[in-house]
Amino acid sequence: MKQITVKVARYDPEKDAAPHLEEYTVEVNEGARVLHVLHAIHDTIDPTLSYRYCCASGQCGSCAVRVNGEPVLACLEEARDGMVIEPLRLTVVKDLVVDMTGILTTLEGIVGRGEAKVPEKEQVERLKELRDCIECLACVSECPAIEVAKFSGPTAMRQRMRIALDPRSAGVEIAQAIEDGLFTCTTCHRCVEVCPKEIEIPGKAIEKLREIANREGFTLPRHREVAELVKTTGRSITRTKPTFLEQVPEVIEPEGEVRGEVGFFVGCMYNGRLPEAALEMIEVMRRNGIRLIIPHDQVCCGSPLLRTGQTSFIDELRRKNIEAFAKRGIKTVMTMCAGCGSTLKNNYRTPFQVKDITEVLTEYGIEAPEKLDLKATYHDPCHLLRGQGIREQPRELLRMVAREFVEMPSRCCGAGGGVRSGLPEEAKALAEKRREEAEKTGADIIVSACPFCEFHISESTDKPVRHIASVLLEGYRKKDRKKKVPAA
Amino acid sequence: MLADDAMDCHVLVIGSGGAGVRAALEAAKYGDTILLSRTLTGKGGCTTMAEGGYNAVLRAQDSPALHVQDTMEGGAWLNDPALVEVLVREAPERMRDLLAWGAVFDVTEGREIAQRPFGGQRFPRTCYAGDRTGHEMILTLVEQLRRSDVVQLQEHVAIELLKDGERVCGAIALDRKNELVVVKADAVVLATGGGTRVYDISTNSASGTGDGYALGYRAGAELIDMEMVQFHPTGAVYPYDARGRLVTEAVRGEGGVLKNALGERFMERYDPVRKELSTRDVVSRAIAREVLEGRGTIHGGVHLDVSHLPSHVIEERLPIMLEQFLRFGVDIRKEPMEVAPTAHHIMGGLRITPECHTTLAGLYACGEVTGGVHGANRLGGNALADTQVFGKRAGEAAGKGGRRSIRIGRGQVEVQERRLERFYAGDTNPAEAARQLRLLMWEKAGIFRSEEGLLRARREISRLSGLIPLASSRHSLVECCTLENMLLLSSLIVEGALLRRESRGAHMRVDVTQTWGAKDSSFGHTVQSLEGRKIERRGA
Ligand SMILES: Cc1cc2nc3c(=O)[nH]c(=O)nc-3n(C[C@H](O)[C@H](O)[C@H](O)COP(=O)(O)OP(=O)(O)OC[C@H]3O[C@@H](n4cnc5c(N)ncnc54)[C@H](O)[C@@H]3O)c2cc1C
Ligand code: SF4
Ligand code: SF4
Repeated sequence: MKQITVKVARYDPEKDAAPHLEEYTVEVNEGARVLHVLHAIHDTIDPTLSYRYCCASGQCGSCAVRVNGEPVLACLEEARDGMVIEPLRLTVVKDLVVDMTGILTTLEGIVGRGEAKVPEKEQVERLKELRDCIECLACVSECPAIEVAKFSGPTAMRQRMRIALDPRSAGVEIAQAIEDGLFTCTTCHRCVEVCPKEIEIPGKAIEKLREIANREGFTLPRHREVAELVKTTGRSITRTKPTFLEQVPEVIEPEGEVRGEVGFFVGCMYNGRLPEAALEMIEVMRRNGIRLIIPHDQVCCGSPLLRTGQTSFIDELRRKNIEAFAKRGIKTVMTMCAGCGSTLKNNYRTPFQVKDITEVLTEYGIEAPEKLDLKATYHDPCHLLRGQGIREQPRELLRMVAREFVEMPSRCCGAGGGVRSGLPEEAKALAEKRREEAEKTGADIIVSACPFCEFHISESTDKPVRHIASVLLEGYRKKDRKKKVPAA
Repeated sequence: MLADDAMDCHVLVIGSGGAGVRAALEAAKYGDTILLSRTLTGKGGCTTMAEGGYNAVLRAQDSPALHVQDTMEGGAWLNDPALVEVLVREAPERMRDLLAWGAVFDVTEGREIAQRPFGGQRFPRTCYAGDRTGHEMILTLVEQLRRSDVVQLQEHVAIELLKDGERVCGAIALDRKNELVVVKADAVVLATGGGTRVYDISTNSASGTGDGYALGYRAGAELIDMEMVQFHPTGAVYPYDARGRLVTEAVRGEGGVLKNALGERFMERYDPVRKELSTRDVVSRAIAREVLEGRGTIHGGVHLDVSHLPSHVIEERLPIMLEQFLRFGVDIRKEPMEVAPTAHHIMGGLRITPECHTTLAGLYACGEVTGGVHGANRLGGNALADTQVFGKRAGEAAGKGGRRSIRIGRGQVEVQERRLERFYAGDTNPAEAARQLRLLMWEKAGIFRSEEGLLRARREISRLSGLIPLASSRHSLVECCTLENMLLLSSLIVEGALLRRESRGAHMRVDVTQTWGAKDSSFGHTVQSLEGRKIERRGA
């Protein structure tokens, strides 16, 4: 037995004005789960503590709660001293019990055609990927789109796709799916991150439903325009000024010794809209001894098409991009756009490695910049944090250059999944929430690692929003200035 | 609460596991149906936890006669043959219903429902959806339910059945706010599942506290074979709080081998032919014996090993086992699991006819709360089939029953009000009393039983029953009622075990020397009701 002290959110709407945290110390066994801590509190301290549970083996989906802010199943998550246990972000009935029935009753089943012919093995395999759902609603409780738009939620979309895939069903009403918010999903992958069954809802349900919508002619007009643009120009952004690729040679040699070499995949945003940031990145690479090879025949990675279900000529883009880098014998391709990086890593099968710039810089190790007199916060791009699993690297770099680094909760900014172009009001509402969070931290600058996030958030705040590479460069410049003016 | 505020329906189904939801879907064809359950619909009970599979004769090489024979033999010929006939005949039809409703079972390359071998069966007839078969069934059933007219009363706990004269005509329940509600019905279907939570080591979900046995018994129904408790051979032993968690039989079905701490494949000694795939009673006793005789692991179990199988087979066929053990730091692709027996299933229960009538008018029952289908030992895969076959039958019989005007005396509600009132002046922490009971049952009414131990258990149960569970607020009322039910179920198990002076199937009396085998035993069912208890004689 061991002793453990935890805080638990208590709330009885009949008595309390608001939820509050209560501290408890209990004895539990070695290897105890969060659920066993709740049992111990209930059995030995306060029998009025309410929490839901049943199978205690991760199969019934009754016991999802938040531990230190993150949704988990209480029966599977190991208990840790000092943890804070709160209900899911849904309507609280009492203590840790949230209202689930309202959402669960809306999950529809298959409308059979009366045929009991079973699916084929391959179909079964695809169905199974969507069938593990234990209806715990963790995903629903964390989905940013639900907060600001009319959206039936991730697991409802999962169920829709499951119906669409089943040969026994009469098919899905795609118009209804759109009515229910099919296009409101930002593909932020928060639902996957919190799902105890790790169900890939955005990739395996939402984007696939959007493909069906596309085939049936329901793609949003703005999305269609983007697809048209990519088809005709190879880029998802119209040319309004000299692009990055127009301004740089194919090979950029570092200052001094060559420590490494990467291919650079620029992506449409840095190429067409924010070329300055990409040019600043070049300075950082040169300074750190990394040679850049920049094939000029690269095109859009296809992300804006994949995310919106417009996949008819995606193979063509894939082929062109892979060829552009492969024929130059490049072993590692670097991205500085989180969206491109995630797409190359997850939607391509490449003969080369793909790395985000923050991975490249932390792996090679960089010259220390001069610290800037700034309090900085960091916005996790969804497609970097969850799309590529990169959390620490950008923080490590930021700590090197900012006087002070403060965290803010990582939430989607609303730019992804075609939402910024397709449903600008929703995107704006989410960016607004980012602004509020950033302001709470009191930071002078918001740093990120994705041009979509940077561009989008910057429209909602007066604070500068910069890519980490640009901030590093500023640190180097400060260092150089100091050198030139030696102390008297 | 006035009896006049009661909700009214044609059929009230209590319990939303596989049996209850199936019954409700069927009953709804005949009239207003209410499905009342302790938990959120489908999330309670054991169906959603069931892993291994569903037995059905689907292939030409298999036959219903063989399935009947396997079931009777596994059940040590204590099964009610008429119920077994129905189970075997209709399991495939009910499987077809599930498939028509969209259930995603594993299939073969030839687009047939895949089947795996399970213990005690001469043909691989266990259909499966990976190792989340019950979950797949519940998802499918609940999806149908959401489209139906069935009214769901979720997180409502039935605390007593209501009667109009000799007829069951509804139930009293505690709702989400712990207030009394009355539901009147022309017919009631009891589908509350099992109750092995009265044992310290158990596979069951939190709602497996045997409420239905207690409700049925107190209303006057007959229960049979309550001593027949199945101990599943393979439950987790570590960490402590996960003890008893089921390690599905599919692990052995897929080729898992059992070894004691000396590395011996000991099943060769207990059942040289079937080895690991012998019936559950045999394997459980073998493991218990190995541990008792000092050949167990430090945690008091034996090893169950699949590491000789290719990783992809484990990943594809046993994903949940893989995931659950990984959470506890064991990679079953590389190392063995540690397992020991765990209380799994109650074969006894309410006596039913093939139409699911209990011995009380107006009361029907289906699923694990009933007795007779599985005899003295249930075959893996037969319980899920049972829920569908008898769930449909119970719903249909209840639905087809007549309508009546129901009078409920105010008295029955008052009795319940007084029962609850008493808990506020209780003297015992119900959690503590339940803990003592579970340990007692494991020690004295577990795998190996003797008269002496059972008498000790009887005395202790009666002592615990004399205490009054304390409700410090209305939030504890359900727990107090549950404790009463657990005590009643335990006493039914113990009394049944005392009545049966033979070893039969899962019931092992170490103090009885026996000259007869199961097939020629002269004993029939043990029968218990408010009227009294007895053991029936066969052919008598
Ligand atoms: C871990 C595990 C694995 C299993 N694997 C298999 C397998 O592979 N194959 C197989 O054939 N069998 C298996 N079984 C057995 C099988 O799952 C059960 O026997 C069967 O599912 C029981 O179904 P049921 O509908 O009768 O009851 P359950 O599914 O247990 O449902 C009981 C319902 O009654 C409700 N209830 C209980 N008390 C009350 C009350 N007082 N008021 C209102 N509602 C109440 C509960 O909330 C629940 O909804 C397994 C059992 C377990 C525990
Ligand atoms: S990807 Fe993000 S926005 Fe889309 S459903 Fe999941 S959580 Fe919601
Ligand atoms: S998709 Fe995952 S997180 Fe969402 S309800 Fe299902 S199991 Fe829970």
